[in-house]
Amino acid sequence: MWRIWLLFDPRRALIALFTFLFVLALLIHFILLSTDRFNWLQGPVAAQAVTSEVLSALPERVG
Amino acid sequence: MADDKRGSLTGLTEHEAKEFHGMFVTSFIAFTVIAIIAHFLVWQWRPWL
Repeated sequence: MWRIWLLFDPRRALIALFTFLFVLALLIHFILLSTDRFNWLQGPVAAQAVTSEVLSALPERVG
Repeated sequence: MADDKRGSLTGLTEHEAKEFHGMFVTSFIAFTVIAIIAHFLVWQWRPWL
């Protein structure tokens, strides 16, 4: 298995690997942040709060 | 010297390739262990299946 480093330059392989992992991690974190269940900053309450704000604001504007 | 680099496209000797491979495998195992711990903690927080 170590013979792979005779084929692929370790420096380029490491740069490519780190870049790939960083982009992948960034992608996964943003996907999770965009969901309601796995958003660890605002949590599922945020969506309900916004909804309740909109709902409570509607009658005032109508009335 | 020609024998050392025979069949090597990267110019690494067999010794250098083995040395780097050892570091690479060690780092990979450490990364994997940390990732497993992180996934375990997230699963405890909110399982996704």
